[in-house]
Amino acid sequence: MEDKITVKDIFWKFLKIGSFSFGGVYSMLAFFERELVEKEKWLTHEEFVESVAIGQMTPGPPIVNTGICIGYKLKRIKGALATTAGQSFTGTLLAILLAVFYVKSKGNVLLTSVMKGVGAAVVGLLLSIIFKMSKSTIKNLKSALFALAAFFALALFNLNPIGLILASGIIGLFVYGRRP
Amino acid sequence: MVLLKLCWLLFVINALTIGGGFVMLPMLQKEFVEKHHWLTNQEFLDAIAIGQLTPGPLTVMNAVIGYKVSGVLGAILAMVSSYLPCIIIVTLVAKYYYDYRESKIVQSSFKGIKPAVIGLLAAVAISLGNTALVDPLTFGIAIISFAVIAFTKTDPSFVIVGAGILGAVLL
Repeated sequence: MEDKITVKDIFWKFLKIGSFSFGGVYSMLAFFERELVEKEKWLTHEEFVESVAIGQMTPGPPIVNTGICIGYKLKRIKGALATTAGQSFTGTLLAILLAVFYVKSKGNVLLTSVMKGVGAAVVGLLLSIIFKMSKSTIKNLKSALFALAAFFALALFNLNPIGLILASGIIGLFVYGRRP
Repeated sequence: MVLLKLCWLLFVINALTIGGGFVMLPMLQKEFVEKHHWLTNQEFLDAIAIGQLTPGPLTVMNAVIGYKVSGVLGAILAMVSSYLPCIIIVTLVAKYYYDYRESKIVQSSFKGIKPAVIGLLAAVAISLGNTALVDPLTFGIAIISFAVIAFTKTDPSFVIVGAGILGAVLL
């Protein structure tokens, strides 16, 4: 079964997936499942679920990581590269085009007003992300302390976030790693 | 030299982006806006908006940052360095999935990192808010956007487009 799939097939399939990946994580995953499990039968439902789990427990965007995992299962490292390239092609191209346009029309009065509105919406978006993440992650005093400590370390003491993430990982190891 | 630094920073930052695309924002802002001055706070906000509007994950915003730093080559290299750690880590984890899943080290360090990034994001939201929220109208847009995204299932892209139109008309 898997022998018939070529790296090119994988690239094109993920190009399609990546070009239409608006919307939230869950609608995307449903799209993945329909295309890859039901339509193409490239992988079983169990393999798909495992790929999603891996995508969510590794650093980076979960959807892209799920794709990398699927590509790797299908065609090893070549498959992983094909899914990444396919999934990121359209978004990257559009982002570059928008960036060119943005840099070229800097100072344009209309664009400045548009971006003023957009900037305010991004702050609102960020707040809603913080709100949603807090609901799912901050469940007790310990996790609240981790969040507060990180907040003050950055907002008041202006420490480096890279260092702070590493430090909270190490502290997490000591705090949570000792249970029998 | 600048390109090398850009790639290295994006590689490290993406390797530490645990718990969703937004987690990279505090690190990106510190390194690119505050330390290296490759972007202003406003340009950083605009890059986030573009990353959110384009298909694919927020990571696409790194192409905008790369473009700003060093043109099209910068944009492409930015994306390659952002996804390289993902490819390396995911293929390794796929190979040793069962060991990884049961690993106490991974589990307990993630348990510390996940709440901490919320604190970091809150600090970044304050800093970006200082730049973006300058009058009652921008405050209003931020509050409405928050409410719509947090309490309904609306795609954030629509909210951003809507806010842009509102900005063009009112601001």
